[in-house]
Amino acid sequence: MSEHREYTCVVCPNGCALQVEVSEGEKPQFISATGNLCPRGLAWAKQEVENPLRTISTNVLVTGGSLPVVSVRTLDAIPLAQVKAVRESLKQIVLKAPLHIGQVIADCPAGVPCRVAVTRNVPAVG
Amino acid sequence: MSTAYDIAIVGGGVVGCAIARELSKFTCRVCLLERELDVSLGTSCRNSGVLHSGINYKPGTLRARLAVRGNAMMDELCRDLKVKIKRIGKLTVALEKDDMPGLERIYEQGKANGAPGLEIIGPERMRSIQPDVEGIAALWSPSSSIISPYGLTIALAENAKANGVDLRLGWGVTGVEVLPEGRGFAVKNARGETVTAKLLINVAGLFAAAICEMAGIHDYHIYPCRGEYYVLDKRLDGSLRTLIYPTPNPKNPGLGIHLTPTVDGNILIGPSADYQDSPTWTGNCAPTMAQLREEGLKLLPDIRISDYIRNFAGLRAKQTPPEVGGNADFVVEDRADVPGFINVLGIESPGLTSSPAIAEMVRDMVKAHLPLLPDPSFNGVRPGSDLLFSERSPEERAAMIADDPDYGEMICRCESVSKREVLDALNNPLGAKTFVSLKYRSRVSMGRCQGGFCIPRIARLLYEEFGWKWEDFVDHSEGSRMFAGKVLNGGEH
Amino acid sequence: MLKERKCGVAVIGGGPAGLAAAISAHEVGCRDVVLIERDRLLGGILNQCIHDGFGLHRFGEAMTGPEYAQRDIDRFNELGIEAMTESMVMELKEDRTLLVSRRGEMIRLRADAVVLAMGCRERPRGALSIPGTRPSGIYTAGAAQNFVNLSNLMPGKKVCILGSGDIGLIMARRMTLEGAEVKAVFELLPYSSGLPRNIQQCLNDYGISLYLSTTVTGIVGEDRLEAVQVSKVDERRRPIPGTEQTFECDTLLLSVGLIPENELTRMAGIAIDPVTNGAVVDDDFMTSVPGIFSCGNVLHVHDLVDWVSLEAAEAGKRAAAWAKGDREGAAGIAVRHGNGVRYTMPARVSGGKDVSIAFRVGAPDRNRYLVVTADGREIVRQKRIRLHPAVMEHLTVKAADLKGCSALEVSVQ
Repeated sequence: MSEHREYTCVVCPNGCALQVEVSEGEKPQFISATGNLCPRGLAWAKQEVENPLRTISTNVLVTGGSLPVVSVRTLDAIPLAQVKAVRESLKQIVLKAPLHIGQVIADCPAGVPCRVAVTRNVPAVG
Repeated sequence: MSTAYDIAIVGGGVVGCAIARELSKFTCRVCLLERELDVSLGTSCRNSGVLHSGINYKPGTLRARLAVRGNAMMDELCRDLKVKIKRIGKLTVALEKDDMPGLERIYEQGKANGAPGLEIIGPERMRSIQPDVEGIAALWSPSSSIISPYGLTIALAENAKANGVDLRLGWGVTGVEVLPEGRGFAVKNARGETVTAKLLINVAGLFAAAICEMAGIHDYHIYPCRGEYYVLDKRLDGSLRTLIYPTPNPKNPGLGIHLTPTVDGNILIGPSADYQDSPTWTGNCAPTMAQLREEGLKLLPDIRISDYIRNFAGLRAKQTPPEVGGNADFVVEDRADVPGFINVLGIESPGLTSSPAIAEMVRDMVKAHLPLLPDPSFNGVRPGSDLLFSERSPEERAAMIADDPDYGEMICRCESVSKREVLDALNNPLGAKTFVSLKYRSRVSMGRCQGGFCIPRIARLLYEEFGWKWEDFVDHSEGSRMFAGKVLNGGEH
Repeated sequence: MLKERKCGVAVIGGGPAGLAAAISAHEVGCRDVVLIERDRLLGGILNQCIHDGFGLHRFGEAMTGPEYAQRDIDRFNELGIEAMTESMVMELKEDRTLLVSRRGEMIRLRADAVVLAMGCRERPRGALSIPGTRPSGIYTAGAAQNFVNLSNLMPGKKVCILGSGDIGLIMARRMTLEGAEVKAVFELLPYSSGLPRNIQQCLNDYGISLYLSTTVTGIVGEDRLEAVQVSKVDERRRPIPGTEQTFECDTLLLSVGLIPENELTRMAGIAIDPVTNGAVVDDDFMTSVPGIFSCGNVLHVHDLVDWVSLEAAEAGKRAAAWAKGDREGAAGIAVRHGNGVRYTMPARVSGGKDVSIAFRVGAPDRNRYLVVTADGREIVRQKRIRLHPAVMEHLTVKAADLKGCSALEVSVQ
């Protein structure tokens, strides 16, 4: 039994519209795809079906800064299934200003190998 | 605050606050008990803001007499209280010959009531007042005016408080005990707090009949009747230079859906009229909204969809049920059966206009019970100005900014409200701390973006500079929190 | 008391458009640029857009809003351009005089050229005539984004969202990530105006349902929001009686359109295009008032900030040239939108140089051609596999093709 899905590939700005066949069931397996202009699209589609990866952006607490929180993002993609756990673990961190864009503040949140970096400059105040 | 008073006023709408201010001229101890977290939050903040001339009421009625008297008192009152009033007059228009008898009738009625300056005028004079107005004739009533109804209420309350009235907000009356031996009343709230007073003045608007019931008076029932409105963008400011109403048609009682300019430059479409059971539900209904849009476009074809910026609805405290309809006269009575209970009930239009005159009438009723000795320290002048900062010239603004830098920092972009005005509104004499309290005093969030820009900035201002916690932000009532919590707990803010 | 000042180029707005315009004006030689920003920080709306996806075209990487803004802010500071922050322009006159209000002073600034870069505001509830009560808990999506990302405040816990444009979708994901339950996203149109990637990553990832051809027809709750009533709509977007459904929630986020902030523009008597709600401009980004230029979201709502920066850089360059006295000839060739195209920008071109025409199509479509004709003669034809109103398109027209022509038309065929 197979299921038909439509995805928009995000590997490059072309945004190819992919028609993807996947197996039904709780853990769908990639069967085939059409519509891709390059092989990277196929690899991406397989990943997207079997183990979708995501980057997340969120906030982390700051003390001594001009803002109460600083925005951060994951520099490496993490499994969608781990997004909640990663976010929860970042709640435990309290950063001290000053903070700079690119500063890595975690590299394995919730046991998931992934660098998390600051995305906003926060000067120290007071 | 003491809990024993000479007079307890139940209800902080425009009439209750007018009575409070009037009684604050004397040495008697007065308290005003208001169920909401600020004054004016019932019917008084949800109406057309029109001061009527007196042409629409039957001679000999209280409404007729008190409207004309109240209107005449407004110039001095607004000058002292620093409330903006615009005497823009009204054209009651006859569109065709069949309307003329109706027009003549209200002309005569107005004259009999003592409405000043009435004239029946022709198209040329009509168009000199309002260039594009249609009609064959009109009754010109120059004393018809517009005012901010919540602005007046707040000003009356602040001046009353400055002159010694105890204003208790968030004090909803749940019980009235008639004390034995004519000692007056013990009034209590849901928290078990009690105040006693020799006299009780019931001005509770939509709840006036309920207060009567608590005191053992079963003569009244209030039927809420909802009037819905649209608020239009200031882009249309100037389109209406005066009030324009159609000639009253006996088949449609009430003044119908019309356009009303506001003192701040908006235009209101409304009000509609629908009876309902709830004395608190002030929502808008789709069919009525469609009707308002339709009527609005007929009167002002220039209206665009982008001009609609907000809807609201107010509830009239009607004494007559839907099957009877019409308008009963005001009840302003000194009850003989419950001595000391002064009842002010069924105050719908022209309640705003009549408010200071009702206060005079109530004062005279109070005199029959208590000696009223003038208080030499009474100061009827409220500090401040009726002008918004944004209405001043650039040079004046520059001078005020140089004097107080907070005037230069803009918080509300759409209405050009400065930080100083927001802080003044926050530190208001009544201690009201809801968002609508800020709104009604400073005009924040009343513009095109309806708070999209200023609310986050106001939240940050209160949070960072005044140490407010997320749970302190309420929109208009204890149950209307604006936030659900912090995103991340454990930080500094 | 009123402080009098002069400057070469005054830029109103310190978001991505204003920054790019100011930098560009400086880089072509104007040393008298003043940028006026009402907020504490430069960066505009990018400051609260902490999600990534910005800069793919301009920098070749997908960065977050604050990071994108910082690139321009660093360059701006490096060049030593003057910025007046926490300053609001209260008035703009046709003679390019600005009245600026800031803490402690009021300034009358006379500029040789002005660049309008004020961005947009969000459409509020009142503009939609949503029936029902007015409880707390109803916010525009951008205001909610500001609360969450800049003030660490959670607007609510059980959320419904009206509008499936990117802002609504982004907030669905953001609120979910921070522990709220997003119950549904409602969309008036039969298709979402958001990017397909966002439908996947903001809705499908979290099992949030999207209800198309649906709108909010009632608000319940007298204190705080308790529920919303929604209805399906017909092909004329009118609610269909009998299709009402109630969703319990304490928060309703509205993502129902951006409106260019053209109050100052109107004040100066500048002509406004009724479709874009932005100024009518020529291929120099100059408005109908000489010396006043417009760019970015205040000119027309963009989908990608990369195009904002490009456009604004050009506008800044032209404003600086104007301030210096370089006046080019009037742009006499009209640009019109034809079949399938909702609007085109600019409204007029000079024909003296190549020009990029920006436009949006009116409805989603597949396998079509974008065509530009000059007085009926075809000069550009490009195939598009996919067309969507959410995506801003650009087509370049060569100066050589514009010789002697009086009107251009862009259409979908």
